[in-house]
Amino acid sequence: MILRTVFLRIVLFVAAWWVLTQGRTDSWGVGLISIASALIVSLILLPPGLFRFSFAGLFFFLNYFLSQSLKAGIQVALMAVRLNPDLHPSIKLISLRLPEGLGRVILVNTLNLLPGTLSANLTSSSLCLHVLDERQPNEAQVRDIEKLIAHMLCVELEES
Amino acid sequence: MEIPELLSIIFLVTGAAFFMAGTIGLLRFPDVYTRLHVLAKVDNLGLGFIILGLLFQAPGLMAALKIIVIWLLALAASSTVSFLIARQALNRGVAPWKAKEQKI
Repeated sequence: MILRTVFLRIVLFVAAWWVLTQGRTDSWGVGLISIASALIVSLILLPPGLFRFSFAGLFFFLNYFLSQSLKAGIQVALMAVRLNPDLHPSIKLISLRLPEGLGRVILVNTLNLLPGTLSANLTSSSLCLHVLDERQPNEAQVRDIEKLIAHMLCVELEES
Repeated sequence: MEIPELLSIIFLVTGAAFFMAGTIGLLRFPDVYTRLHVLAKVDNLGLGFIILGLLFQAPGLMAALKIIVIWLLALAASSTVSFLIARQALNRGVAPWKAKEQKI
């Protein structure tokens, strides 16, 4: 199991380097060092065998993420050029239902690119969220994306 | 002008427009948190359109893949950096800007 994870990650990092250097062979010296470092860091930060992955879940997640991040960009761009940006920022504390680990990291990073939300702090039980408009139902949005991430990583949501 | 070239120009101009709006927001928005919203969201969308535009001009599959990988890496990096800056600002006690109460 561990060997399989290590092997898959090496394949992933080699592929990434191969794509970034467009298949050239003269930079493999630097490449091997980078791949080895990436592998070590990834094994420390995300130990093998702790999660599974659903491709159907990934599809639903990407579908939601792409449409919502497009909306987010257009919304904030319009706010920026409007005469009156009509900002009502606020900080909201939201309890987390995803188990600690990869899921939460994905949640924090995704929320930064979704409409009106910016993750500002993460504790063991809750997420500190900066929102652009406190009148929006931000918590419902977090709940939606939590469900999608849980489905993608095949984990259960905890009761909040 | 051929269609791919035209599409490429349309996407590149759209991307540039988003970067422009993002920069205006960065100058106009009141505090570090609201500015991070603009940076993370608008610039990534701008980059996305620029990438789409460049894909039409990519000389081959490898170059196209490389452009897409760069976009994904930039997306992950900018989102992570936004979170880290926001967290550091909160820890230092930078108070978020508040809208004034509207008079009725």
